[in-house]
Amino acid sequence: MEGTRRIGASPLERHKRTSFYIFLAPWIIGFLLLEVVPIIWGFQISLTNRTSFPVAIKFVGLKNYLTLFQDSEVLGSYWVSFVYTILNTLIGVVTGFIFALLLDRELPGRGFFRTILYFPYMIPLVAVGWIFRIFLERDTGFLNILLVNLHIIPSGIPWMQNSPMGSILMLSFWQAGWSMIIFLGALSTVPRELYEVATIDGAGYGKRVRHIMLPLISPFIFFQFVMSFIYAMQAFIQPYILNPRPIRGNWVMLNPPPNETFFVMSRAYYIITGQHKFAYGLAMLWVLFAVVLVFTILFVKFGGFWVYTEADERK
Amino acid sequence: MTTIQTRERLSATFRFIALVIIVIVIFLPLVSMVVTSLKRMDELYRVPAHVLPDAAVWGNYGLAWTLVNFGKYLLNSIILTILYIVPAVMSSAFAGYAFSRFQVRESRAIFLVVLSTLMIPVMVTMMPLYMVLARAQFVNQRGLWFVWGLAGIPFIIFLFRQFFSTIPASFEESARMDGAGRFRVFFSIMFPLVQTGLIVASIFAFQWSWSEFLMPVLFLSDEKSSLAVKIVMGYADQKENVLYNIGMAGIVYYTAPLVIVYFALQKRFVAGLLAGGLKG
Repeated sequence: MEGTRRIGASPLERHKRTSFYIFLAPWIIGFLLLEVVPIIWGFQISLTNRTSFPVAIKFVGLKNYLTLFQDSEVLGSYWVSFVYTILNTLIGVVTGFIFALLLDRELPGRGFFRTILYFPYMIPLVAVGWIFRIFLERDTGFLNILLVNLHIIPSGIPWMQNSPMGSILMLSFWQAGWSMIIFLGALSTVPRELYEVATIDGAGYGKRVRHIMLPLISPFIFFQFVMSFIYAMQAFIQPYILNPRPIRGNWVMLNPPPNETFFVMSRAYYIITGQHKFAYGLAMLWVLFAVVLVFTILFVKFGGFWVYTEADERK
Repeated sequence: MTTIQTRERLSATFRFIALVIIVIVIFLPLVSMVVTSLKRMDELYRVPAHVLPDAAVWGNYGLAWTLVNFGKYLLNSIILTILYIVPAVMSSAFAGYAFSRFQVRESRAIFLVVLSTLMIPVMVTMMPLYMVLARAQFVNQRGLWFVWGLAGIPFIIFLFRQFFSTIPASFEESARMDGAGRFRVFFSIMFPLVQTGLIVASIFAFQWSWSEFLMPVLFLSDEKSSLAVKIVMGYADQKENVLYNIGMAGIVYYTAPLVIVYFALQKRFVAGLLAGGLKG
């Protein structure tokens, strides 16, 4: 308060500041109650030996965190999440980019295609998991029926058994609509004249994409990498539904997914609700938070070097 | 000149064909969903597989409704969604307005805080909240969805900031001259001008709360639980065999509201997304 009074003493500035905080108040309340306070609670609990029975709770310091780093199953989950994140990001961004390239220029039914390609992104993951569980079935799934009838494969492939990770990654292709929209927005910022000039100079399509389009939309690609990283590290529900094991009714969330796709959040959920190791699960989530935070900061700080900006041009 | 035109037409034809194939591939899982929902259970395991059912079993749709008391969970989902959407959209619009119109020294830093909330994994906040609230016997409260909404959606706050920034300041100034208060200015002048933003925000908030699984499963009893939880658990018979066909019918019901809203508003939704994302 001291500082603000000293510098912004003008009535206009004060009015502005009052307005600013009045309009921001709902967000501040929500942010404090649902983000800040629980985060602090969570960190406190992660330093104890708390289980679902809140008796004899005592402070154990960093013990949970130390155990975590010797727990090969937990470390495996971090690795699996990391691999998934990289592949999911690449598939999503590349697919979205191809969709956007196909839709960037005039075309009959462009609006229709755009609407349809974005559409799968609207379908909740909880439903998508079940839809793909049936779609990828070895003998009766539509994917195999199609591929066999087109003579692309001789007989049905058990997708989920062969590669639980691969079957979850198919969703990244299917739901690339979000990435497509970002790219469409990005491509529309590239001045048409640049393409025309390059075409006259004899640059082919590939050259135009590489030397004009990609540099100009690189901030958007970068943005997508960051966002996709943050979201994919939090993958949670997919492996519970989309896995090779038989599912019993109403037991979906009680059976742990196979290790190949036991993502960090999925395991944390299992440790907390299934094994009742509250403190341990929270420590695991805190490490995830730290990993996301550190990687995002590193991305933003050092990943920007290949991003083309106007400022570079002037140099 | 003609060669360029021919090439342009050839490229358009090629792209058109490619897109048609992609659309078919994208629709396959959805077709599989609908077809499965019309089959008998034993048809699902029959080898060699038949694409179409022997006869459409419309009864699956009746069972999908009665087997889990679908109506009750649908109502619960609607209540939770309304409790979330209203504060989420309003709070985000307010915040976006604050960031675009009342820039003070600390605005930038606070905006960074807003964006950085994206990085907090949901469980990092939800799990401790669940532990503390459960211990305090403060459970089964739908009001939590309202507070969740207040926290806003960072992306939507960003979007609203963009939309408000495109409105010239002169619009409000004349109203303020006439002595209108902050909220009068906001609701009577600014708010009607960001309709597209409202549509995008509402659709996003709707989709989020409609598909949210973690919150209802942690905080609500079965009595108040949402459709998303029921869909995850799946449909089963008394021996706990999963009934995939009825489950697919349930998913058709479950996704229908989102599908309808999306296709009804898709033009303005996609346009809004494109417009809002651009000026970043």
